[in-house]
Amino acid sequence: MRFLLALLLIVPALAQTTPPTASPTTAPQDQPPASAGQATSAPASAAEAQTAAPAPAQTSAGNPAPAAAEDFHGSIDFGYRWLSDVHGSMDEYRSVVDLAQGPRLFGLEFTLADPSIHLFDQLDVRAYGWGGDPYKTAHIGARKKRVYDFSFDYNDFAYFNAVPSFANPGAPGGFDEQSFDVHRRTLSAGLDLFPGGHFIPYLDFDHNAGSGSGVETWVQDSNNEYAVPTLLSDSTENYRGGVRIEYSRFHLTLEQGGTTYKDNDQATDATLLGGDNTMPIFGQTLSLSGLQQAYGIRGHSIYSKVLFTSHLAPWFDVYGQFLYSEPKTDIHFSEVANGNFLDISQLLFYSSLTTMGTGTDNQPHTTGNIGFELRPLRRLRVIESLMTDRYHDAAAPDIAVTGTAPGLLFASLNGPNGFTEYVNYNQQQIDVLYDLTNRITLHGGWRYVWGDAQTLTGELSETGPPATGQLRRNTGIGGLTYHALDKLTINLDFEGASSDDIYFRTSLNDYKKGRARARYQVAKALSLQASFQVLNNQNPAPGINYSFQSRDNALSIFWTPDSAKRISLMGEYDRSTLYSNINYLTLPFLSPAVSQYRDNAHTATTAINLALPRIKDGKLTLGGSMFVSSGSAPSRYYEPLARVSLPVCKHVSWNAEWQYYGFGQSFYLYDGFRTNSFITGVRVTQ
Amino acid sequence: MLRPPSKAGLALLAALVAIAARGAQDKPGAPAPQAAAQEAKPADNKPASYVGSETCQTCHEDIFKAFQKNPHSLVETDKKYGHTTQACEACHGPGSKHADSMNAADIRQPAKLTAAAADRICLSCHLSQPTHVGRINSSHAKNQVSCVSCHAIHKNGPDGLVARKPADINRQCATCHSDIWASFLRPYRHKLPEGAMSCVDCHNPHGSALPHGMQTVDANEPGCFKCHGDKRGPFSYEHAPVRMEGCTACHQPHGSANPRMLTRAQVGFLCLECHANLAQPALSANGTMGTVPPSFHDMRLPRFQNCTICHQKVHGSYVDRNFLK
Repeated sequence: MRFLLALLLIVPALAQTTPPTASPTTAPQDQPPASAGQATSAPASAAEAQTAAPAPAQTSAGNPAPAAAEDFHGSIDFGYRWLSDVHGSMDEYRSVVDLAQGPRLFGLEFTLADPSIHLFDQLDVRAYGWGGDPYKTAHIGARKKRVYDFSFDYNDFAYFNAVPSFANPGAPGGFDEQSFDVHRRTLSAGLDLFPGGHFIPYLDFDHNAGSGSGVETWVQDSNNEYAVPTLLSDSTENYRGGVRIEYSRFHLTLEQGGTTYKDNDQATDATLLGGDNTMPIFGQTLSLSGLQQAYGIRGHSIYSKVLFTSHLAPWFDVYGQFLYSEPKTDIHFSEVANGNFLDISQLLFYSSLTTMGTGTDNQPHTTGNIGFELRPLRRLRVIESLMTDRYHDAAAPDIAVTGTAPGLLFASLNGPNGFTEYVNYNQQQIDVLYDLTNRITLHGGWRYVWGDAQTLTGELSETGPPATGQLRRNTGIGGLTYHALDKLTINLDFEGASSDDIYFRTSLNDYKKGRARARYQVAKALSLQASFQVLNNQNPAPGINYSFQSRDNALSIFWTPDSAKRISLMGEYDRSTLYSNINYLTLPFLSPAVSQYRDNAHTATTAINLALPRIKDGKLTLGGSMFVSSGSAPSRYYEPLARVSLPVCKHVSWNAEWQYYGFGQSFYLYDGFRTNSFITGVRVTQ
Repeated sequence: MLRPPSKAGLALLAALVAIAARGAQDKPGAPAPQAAAQEAKPADNKPASYVGSETCQTCHEDIFKAFQKNPHSLVETDKKYGHTTQACEACHGPGSKHADSMNAADIRQPAKLTAAAADRICLSCHLSQPTHVGRINSSHAKNQVSCVSCHAIHKNGPDGLVARKPADINRQCATCHSDIWASFLRPYRHKLPEGAMSCVDCHNPHGSALPHGMQTVDANEPGCFKCHGDKRGPFSYEHAPVRMEGCTACHQPHGSANPRMLTRAQVGFLCLECHANLAQPALSANGTMGTVPPSFHDMRLPRFQNCTICHQKVHGSYVDRNFLK
């Protein structure tokens, strides 16, 4: 990707040679006033994006304003990040934040719009987080009116996860079980062509690959498990093309695509490992002295997509889609393990275990959706939709396991051959919306979902029969929307459902869900927003007795006096509670118990933007976010920040930022960390 | 069961009813003042006619000039849309009356219409696009969130019409979904606050065949698999909830206080809440596909408390029915 980075840096430099435009950019009048902390272009850092206040919605389409006639504008943010020593768990810090110090290209973005250029009318380039940050993104968009529309996106995300509480705390090898350090890179490119008025062919390509290392466990029955280093590697390529046929009264999209997939994970270890179980069994210590494990998974798929919309009459619209995919997988797996192992059913110690697996999986998956919107009266709308999703998985694995005791071949097992799993889901929903007045819209409806499924389950053995289940649920829907005085908007929604059959103990069963939202424009510079929602789900069946309730209350305030020229304030507070009780059987004696989960959380975020006195365009931002919870996982996570921006010359400003990251969990004290991040850099704007 | 409403709740309900009653005093069918003005019959009873964008330019020069860079300027020249030289009136309706009277009440102002009426103007062209195939299931459409709530029709520039940068998209969505945004401030989260992702990476605000407007990939797979392709399979041994209830059966995708965005603080509880049915010859209704606990591990021992230490291929396995490898 060095080439890409070079391209991103060179293109804006070349673009500077385009004839400069005369008039400065005029802020569109219909753009809402910038909220506190609202990034003007590229987020200078993660913190900036984090504390950015939600922008008021684009509530007006009829308040236009001219845009400036500039052909080129953009900005580049670069600088250096320092990180103080991380106190606490470095692994936890990397799992949650993972920012490191060094020079950074925090953001680059520019737009070149010039119809006189032969290749494109408009070119958009954006790139963030290059130079070592864990989340690098790049976007290039180019379009030529009536000729083509091209987009290219590239992301390189680093994922590190080594959470001590997620591993076996008693493992002699440390807390690294199930940890990983990988990069996931995604690339998307799409090209829409406009050769004529109504037919729009398009081509798209996606690439998604993960690679890195980790620590997984090699499990020898339930006797012992050994942490082994693993190399992770998978990739998916997706090719698709189609044509959109667009006429005034109907639209049809026909698409054909295909994917290829490969998974080459492997584990190799030649050291003597004692495993998590250090207790001698019959006087012998179990161990793993060598492992060679390799996955060679190859997959491919075709898929088809048909979409249509039709405006059959002024009072009647029809929508529909048919989606079909059929991914297939070819399995090649081999594993050779040496050590001192135990087959406890035969009380036999053995020294070598070989597993060879082959097989194929075929997964036809069909989805259909059709619906219509009927407007029999000016104030009445009826929306009906019907959907079906049918997923089948025909698997034919053949797994051979061979154990070798000294001079003895003792076991050879074959996995079950030729079985089918399926999930069929169907849903019909009808909604009736009525404009009671021009300010009040009532809506009500009914949803019925039904389906059936068959899947393999354990049933206390590896060869138990498939389990089947059914789903049947009726849901009533109601609500209203009220727009009062152009300043107050209230939205109420309610769902109540009763189920005859559900799949899982924790599935939605008999539930009620309500939501209320209100927004009030107190004054031109002050708006308030509040929301409340609740979900209550009950399954009183004997042995389950599931009771779940979650509530969420949120309050937001946006204050932008005098169009935020001197000060602006954004504040949000959210209070959420979650209560869950369910009966379960605890091991090893299958004794009844109650699993309780509680989460009572306070979340707040704020940003205050201050114009620095006597310094034109100088700005100070104070804010950040905090999360404090109690209950089953009491946690604290603080991210306060301060940022100052001072103009250096007409197009250059100097930025400095401090942010603190502090995380702690009461039940896992060793999971906490705290550190400070300092950023200084320059923003050049054109 | 729901708790009885508190006094504050009752007070809020009463206030809402009072406000609604006040609004309901408008006679059903009576248009709002602005709409009434727009829908009022012209004094001479002649329907307004199209006058062309150049007539609009006479007074709205600034808008006209800016509009030449707007994506909607295609309407002005492309016969496909049926409003050649009438781009302004394509949305604002015939403008002869307004041109004569110069009265704002004589021209249609989509921002002053009800959400459904404003949407119908947009959909007169945009319904003929694949983006809106899922509109039939869109909660935005059903909750009177009109197109112009997110799209600024006259705005130009790289973010013209709608936010394009991840941070801007997130900010716009969070305007209404502030409760969801609060979830992203938890320690374990998808990296939206960092600007690495945006809401529309996972959700299609125009609607989708899947619940919650989830994006799809490879035709009909949940959008999660676009990045998490290694969890897609098909596996020889699927973990049923992945396909039957989706990722949210075990994960809180917006953010969580629990590692790996799990819905429970300890893995053991998460697993056993489903895998805890009493052994019985026939599976009954009300959620019994989770089976009995699959083994007799002594969960008092630390090595058994996190099931996924051993059952590590919990999203599905190619070679092991117990998800060990």
